[in-house]
Amino acid sequence: MARGMRRPEGAGEEFDLAQMDREMEEMLRTRYLTKENASFQRTGGGFLSLTVDGESYPRISVARMFPFREKERYLSIRTVNERSKEIGIVNDMADFDEETRKMLREQLNLRYFTPIITKVVSIRDEFGYSYWDVVTDHGACRFTVRMGGNSVIHLSDTRILVMDIDENRFEIPNLEKLTSAERKKLDLFI
Amino acid sequence: MEKKPKSMREKLPGSLLACLKEQGLLAGKEEILYQTAVDMNTAGEYADGYILVAGERLIVAQLPPDKGRVHILKGYGDLAPAEGTDWVFRAFAVSALEGIWVEDCVGCSLLVARLEGEEIPLAALSNFRKRSVFDFARAVEGYARDGEYKPQREELEDYCPRCGRMYPNPNYKVCPHCVNRKSIFLRTLRYFKPYWRSVLIMFLCILATSALNMVWPYLNGTVLYDRVLAKDEGFLEGLGIPGGDFALALLLVVLTMFLTKLVLLLAQILQSVCASRTVINVVRDMKRDIFKMMAKLSISFYRSRQTGTLMTRVMSDADRVTGFYVDNAPYILVHGLTILFTVAVMWSLNWQMTILTLLLLPLLVVVSIFLQPRVWVMFGKRHRAERSLNNCVSDNLTGARVVKAFGQEKREIGRFSGYSERLKRSEVTISYWQNYFQLFYGGAQELAATAVWALGTVLILRRNESMDLGVLITFAGYVGQLQGPMRFLAQISHRIADSMNSAQRMFEIMDAAPEVQEAEQPKTLSQVRGEVVLEHVTFGYEVNRMVLKNVNMRIPAGNTIGIVGRSGAGKSTLVNLISRMYDPQEGKILLDGVDVKELSFKELRGNVALVSQDTYIFSGTVAENIAYSNTDASYWDIVEAAKQAGAHEFIMNLKDGYDTRIGASGHGLSGGEKQRISIARAILANPRILILDEATASVDTETERLIQCSLNHLTKGRTTISIAHRLSTLRDADYLFVIDNGEIAEEGVHQELENKKGIYYKLLELQTKALAMRGVE
Repeated sequence: MARGMRRPEGAGEEFDLAQMDREMEEMLRTRYLTKENASFQRTGGGFLSLTVDGESYPRISVARMFPFREKERYLSIRTVNERSKEIGIVNDMADFDEETRKMLREQLNLRYFTPIITKVVSIRDEFGYSYWDVVTDHGACRFTVRMGGNSVIHLSDTRILVMDIDENRFEIPNLEKLTSAERKKLDLFI
Repeated sequence: MEKKPKSMREKLPGSLLACLKEQGLLAGKEEILYQTAVDMNTAGEYADGYILVAGERLIVAQLPPDKGRVHILKGYGDLAPAEGTDWVFRAFAVSALEGIWVEDCVGCSLLVARLEGEEIPLAALSNFRKRSVFDFARAVEGYARDGEYKPQREELEDYCPRCGRMYPNPNYKVCPHCVNRKSIFLRTLRYFKPYWRSVLIMFLCILATSALNMVWPYLNGTVLYDRVLAKDEGFLEGLGIPGGDFALALLLVVLTMFLTKLVLLLAQILQSVCASRTVINVVRDMKRDIFKMMAKLSISFYRSRQTGTLMTRVMSDADRVTGFYVDNAPYILVHGLTILFTVAVMWSLNWQMTILTLLLLPLLVVVSIFLQPRVWVMFGKRHRAERSLNNCVSDNLTGARVVKAFGQEKREIGRFSGYSERLKRSEVTISYWQNYFQLFYGGAQELAATAVWALGTVLILRRNESMDLGVLITFAGYVGQLQGPMRFLAQISHRIADSMNSAQRMFEIMDAAPEVQEAEQPKTLSQVRGEVVLEHVTFGYEVNRMVLKNVNMRIPAGNTIGIVGRSGAGKSTLVNLISRMYDPQEGKILLDGVDVKELSFKELRGNVALVSQDTYIFSGTVAENIAYSNTDASYWDIVEAAKQAGAHEFIMNLKDGYDTRIGASGHGLSGGEKQRISIARAILANPRILILDEATASVDTETERLIQCSLNHLTKGRTTISIAHRLSTLRDADYLFVIDNGEIAEEGVHQELENKKGIYYKLLELQTKALAMRGVE
């Protein structure tokens, strides 16, 4: 596999306990990224790179610490490889300029791709699986959900997350915004 | 070089091929070597696209997002090819490709390529596409690296041949839509076959009961009133009783009525005895079969499901299926017949009143069909509320120490009350609806009965020929008798569906094919020497995440080797492959030169014993636990094994020695004690190949030394594979492998690795220095 083609980090380096301790200390420390010390750049390919305090990272990923509650705050900026490490934390995206916000949002939208179900056309229940036909903010969608498991997760009383058999995600942010006929179709899961 | 499949072009939409040619990206006869479909773009929108390799080009073709197109994920019918005129292309040189792989995002995946040092997202994809895109990426990467064409893995045939829908689970080729309900019904029925006598008696009793029930209104209505009390001479003649002796006739009738009731009662008792006997037996048989099947299934089955919920669900499914067959199925026939007969009898008594009675019937049926699903959903809700409440209780029981330590009793009580409240609410709703139903049915019945009485009275007052008081009473009795069967039949469709669902779930497990299959004609090894060879082994639990990558290893018979690496490096996975808990995706594992896939499970696992980091203690005595692998072991064998494992002393400190009962999961034993018991278990198994997976991780240093000593005896003449974090454990190993990121990063004897100053050296230094600082060593 491709990522195996890279040499593992640290192989062949001289061992240095003090250096290791410094690394450990670093792992325990929280570094906040602000517009003063960090600058995000788009790479040629469409990913993001980051320069912070003079260090530069050719490709980073953005992860939400509380993905269901905080969309634009508490973001962990991480390196991208098999042992992904945190570079720093963005406390609030609003601290950055519009261009950076836009870049971060693009990354988040892709990483947390979750169509929002706006209309439930039909849900059919057949022998252990339910077949959903819905309309989302990304267009009409049909998918299959395993029954009886934890495929439908209640994030709150009115908000649910649906996972299909391949773990594609769909969200209903507010059940009360659906019509009562649609809610009745969902009755089996609520 | 293998032959290229011809169908690559055929699989692509015509409009795409046309556009490619137009743009000069594809020559007329140029071969398309690899291709795969993607369904998202890198902006995070659904958009159809294809990635293909044609000649020396890697081409990404994508249509702009089309919100009008229905996006179809797994489980639905065949996908229509994406056609369009506005294909957008990006082309890269295959020679510049340094790597191509699939990355996991949270709700989708990403296909990334590294081209001349830069990582570029090619396309995004829903997880539905992950498998095929992953296969594509692997094949393309191999092609770019070696320049040699190897075909990409064929996509699984995932479609139901009958309706064209995709199977939700390709490993278990059952289409939920087309599943043969009749066959499920019959298959379940087979479980009743051994108990056919009981079933027959039960059925006869049910028939007798309903027949007698049918006679009852006639006895207490027509016979009692119109014949005896109305002093019908003809009736006496018919019975052969001297004229005028109505007291005797009354006595006879009353006696008959009493006997009827008595027989009814006996039949009912007999029926319920037979029913419960059948149910108990059938449920036991079903559960036994499920358990048998579960034991055969591979570890991966348990990985992909929550074992606890699976178990309870299956167990209650067996009850539910059987319950239906005993409590409902026979009555379908009985109630159907009852309705037919009752209506026929009623018709013969008085047709006007029959019509009046049946007038309300369609309404009842319609309302039932309309309301029943709701009640069903409510039962589901109650079930879920019950489950949450149970979870809450079990959380608290197992986590009692934590709750107390943090002083959170109040909050837990609050949480429990919350769930109780929810359960209460759902119960209340159910009983509300049930009462509502009751009211409705009762009301309708009363209405019908009242109408019957009214019409009957009018008819009697008018001195209608066909109407007497007795007939009216008989008639009213039949009207009442009609209600039960009607209500039953209104609900039956849901009960059938529910029970068939349970049966289906049960058979899903019984039919699941174990992923790790035993060879049909296994080879036998006359004498196992214990040489283990791994050749190009690649394995991953998930499609795109390889835990082991192209691992090669040769372990000579009788050697002790150590495997070192960070946690999560793939060490445990590696030893799991040797005992065939899983099969590698690529490469093979040889035992004495024979592929382990060709050996019987008995031969393989009889020669490989694993002492793992998570010990498991079965409920039973200490001796039983040690002798788990070898039930024929003598007391001396058991004691000897325990001594070698350093367990004898602590066992003798237990009150009942080797006969001490230890509860499930070894309640009352410390982690180290459990570990020593599992080592003793492995020692007693006397395998040719011994795998120690962090076997001494949770014992103290002194005990570790002790076990180490005994292991030195134990490993003599055996192939031993030892995984350890503490490198001191491995000082006697003949050879060491360092695994990092699923690959063998370093290998050699201790001294070589130390001199190499690589990962091993780093770990070693870290451990000795850390120990030195604490003044331990």
